[in-house]
Amino acid sequence: MSVGPYNYSYIFKYIIIGDMGVGKSCLLHQFTEKKFMSDCPHTIGVEFGTRIIEVSGQKIKLQIWDTAGQERFRAVTRSYYRGAAGALMVYDITRRSTYNHLSSWLTDTRNLTNPSTVIFLIGNKCDLNAARDVTYEEAKQFADENGLMFVEASAKSGENVEEAFLETAKKIYQSIQDGRLDLNAAESGVQHKPSQPGGRNTLVNDQTASKDSCSC
Amino acid sequence: MNEPPSSAVTQDFGDNGSLGQSNVLSKRLNKILETRLDTDKETLEALKELSNFFPENSIQSRRNLRSKIEKRSLAINEEFLSAFGKVKDALDSVYNDVVSIDSEVRAMSSHLQATRAQTHQLIDHTTQLQAQSKKLTMEQEVANAFLERYQLSPAELAVLQGTSRDSPITPAFFTALQRAQSIHSDCRVLMQSGFQTVALDVMEQMSLYQEAALERLYRWTQSHCRSMESSETAALLTEAMACLQDRPVLFKYVLDEYGSCRRANLVGLFIDALTKGGPGGALKPIEMHANDPKRYVGDMLAWLHQTIPSERESLIALLRECSKTDVTEHIHQILANITEGVCHPLKVRIERILSTDASTTILYSVASLLGYYHQIFSQVVPESIFSNTIAEVRTLAQNRFLSALQNRVKQHLVDRLDAPPPDLSPSTSVSALMSLLKEVLSVAGVADGRPEDIAKMVGVVLDPLLQAVNLSAARLPTTDMAVYLLNCLYQMQATLSLYGFMDDRLERLQAQSDAQLDTLTSEQASSLVANLNLGPIYTILQETSRGPLSNVPGMDAASLKHFLVKLDAFLGLPDMLLLPQISLLLSTVHRNNVKHRAFEVICTIFKQLYVAVHDPVNGYQNPNGLIPRTPEQIQELLLGDRQ
Repeated sequence: MSVGPYNYSYIFKYIIIGDMGVGKSCLLHQFTEKKFMSDCPHTIGVEFGTRIIEVSGQKIKLQIWDTAGQERFRAVTRSYYRGAAGALMVYDITRRSTYNHLSSWLTDTRNLTNPSTVIFLIGNKCDLNAARDVTYEEAKQFADENGLMFVEASAKSGENVEEAFLETAKKIYQSIQDGRLDLNAAESGVQHKPSQPGGRNTLVNDQTASKDSCSC
Repeated sequence: MNEPPSSAVTQDFGDNGSLGQSNVLSKRLNKILETRLDTDKETLEALKELSNFFPENSIQSRRNLRSKIEKRSLAINEEFLSAFGKVKDALDSVYNDVVSIDSEVRAMSSHLQATRAQTHQLIDHTTQLQAQSKKLTMEQEVANAFLERYQLSPAELAVLQGTSRDSPITPAFFTALQRAQSIHSDCRVLMQSGFQTVALDVMEQMSLYQEAALERLYRWTQSHCRSMESSETAALLTEAMACLQDRPVLFKYVLDEYGSCRRANLVGLFIDALTKGGPGGALKPIEMHANDPKRYVGDMLAWLHQTIPSERESLIALLRECSKTDVTEHIHQILANITEGVCHPLKVRIERILSTDASTTILYSVASLLGYYHQIFSQVVPESIFSNTIAEVRTLAQNRFLSALQNRVKQHLVDRLDAPPPDLSPSTSVSALMSLLKEVLSVAGVADGRPEDIAKMVGVVLDPLLQAVNLSAARLPTTDMAVYLLNCLYQMQATLSLYGFMDDRLERLQAQSDAQLDTLTSEQASSLVANLNLGPIYTILQETSRGPLSNVPGMDAASLKHFLVKLDAFLGLPDMLLLPQISLLLSTVHRNNVKHRAFEVICTIFKQLYVAVHDPVNGYQNPNGLIPRTPEQIQELLLGDRQ
């Protein structure tokens, strides 16, 4: 792979959603920079981060879209669900309201993404166990009922952050292996980079499209 | 045998002198006598031999002995001779043989000699040739080494030049190109070592090869740059771009070609996302939501926003080996080029949305959305046609919004601005326009609206509204007008104070309110003064030249008493004397403000009166009896516990 211009085989598109202040941007920052951002400003609209990980020996580039939790940005952030291969849905274990809103986030996610999109529930701020407002069991049950993957994590300590992103990628990769995720479809949230020439129908589109444009 | 010699001796004796002879004779005799025959082998042998043919010692035989012996000797000699004759013959033949051998050997030797002479020349020649051959081999090695070092191998050359116009570029091509380059630079060494001509020739040759190769590489790259997605070509393309960076013109042409093919690709994908949607209908095409302008515009822009990182990525991948030039500028330009294609479809769609009769709030949110994305895109693809397009449609949206807002305001003001209601509450159009403003301002959201935009928007609503309100208020009596205006202003202030960037506006509204409050206060104060009959008292108190006040008509004790009774009644129920309109003021702050300031006027006058009455110059008797209350008490009663 290293000979190609890309040092990875796939791009997975992720989206991080959840109420304001649950620590979405901090999770992303912890994952991409391995640092905790203590005074993280509110996200304006959407931010973007990447990191290359390895799943089953395959290098995968994660393209992560971190959305603003503020209601006023909903109009903007809704448009970013489109074609996400993974959705990380975050709540704050010390604020029940953020947990209570999960079902509305979930509805949005289900409506706006593919059926094959992997949804991962993250209970953030598990370092603040003393101030806990949502029990692990309760959230686990919610996750099981809705077929979500679940973990409690802490963007501050870094606990389980890596795992959440990696497990999601593994699940997506599994879907590709099982053929549940059609790589040839546009906007599957996964792009196959090298190794398989023409692995993506955009390549075909490429040529026809460029021919069209060249002739005019 | 003994006999003959003795006879011979005897003969000799007889011939020579008698003395000498007798002496010799004796000597001989002695000698013979002394001879020991039995020890003389020779004699014995001879005798033995003699006995063989001399069997009988007879006279005859003795007489014949001599001839016999002579005959015998003759026979033996003859025998001897014949035997020797044979030997001689044999020797002769041997001799002949030897002679022939000798001659042959001699011939051979001379032959050898000749041959040797001949060979010597040959050897010389051979040695010479050998030396020459050695030299030539050496030269050949040198030549080979030179060729190896300073020329491309036929294989390399073949790879470099390609067998046909369309033969593909392989990794070997780059190795060969690299070699041509290194040969070119090695020529410097050659030149320094004094082989200028050769060096220059080789350099020129290499330059030609390189040039031709790069030309070929350029054509190949240009036609293959669209297939960045296949791994082998991609790797080769990356390498090709690194090689081509030395030729800025070719480099740029390739990038332009790449840009235009990616641009076409992006347009294709964009149109697909708009019209075809995601896999198996799982993702609806974006245009399904064309009826929801906010979502439609948002989806389109978000899609583009999410696509650009991938484009940037492949571009960086394409150029990542290009270390000699600053690629950031190129990346900017090409991204601008790539995104240029979607400008038209995007613009057309957004313009269509904006030209429909969308509601003011929707127009506002679209404008605000565009503002947000303008911020984003002017960072992602700065100074590109794309970000300019966004800016353009944003301005368009902004203008469409403002004119829609203007229309709404005009509509309200023309249709519904009626005379102020009897309760002097703000007219319905004020409430309507304020709720419109509120609606729009709460949408605000996405992009943190620029202060000047918000001020403009507020101005569009507020300025005509204020004008209209002032116009309709002008028809009312002063008090009613002030109350009405204050109520209207109050509602506006209450609305605006909820939002940011309104300080300027609020200040102006406050100034207008203050003016109305002043008007109202003076109206109220005058009314109180009139009602308490304070008017004449106050006038007299202000006069400077006068005698004792108790003598002035209207200031006598009786008149004062009359006033104080009224004042007592007033103090018991202060609100009784308030103008009825004051209670119509919506703001308690306004109401209290007017009341307070009017009462302050009364307190001030009372204080003056009190001082005057207690002044002995004015000749009042029992001033305490006349005015039992102190100004402080009055103040406390009217203004509350404040001092």
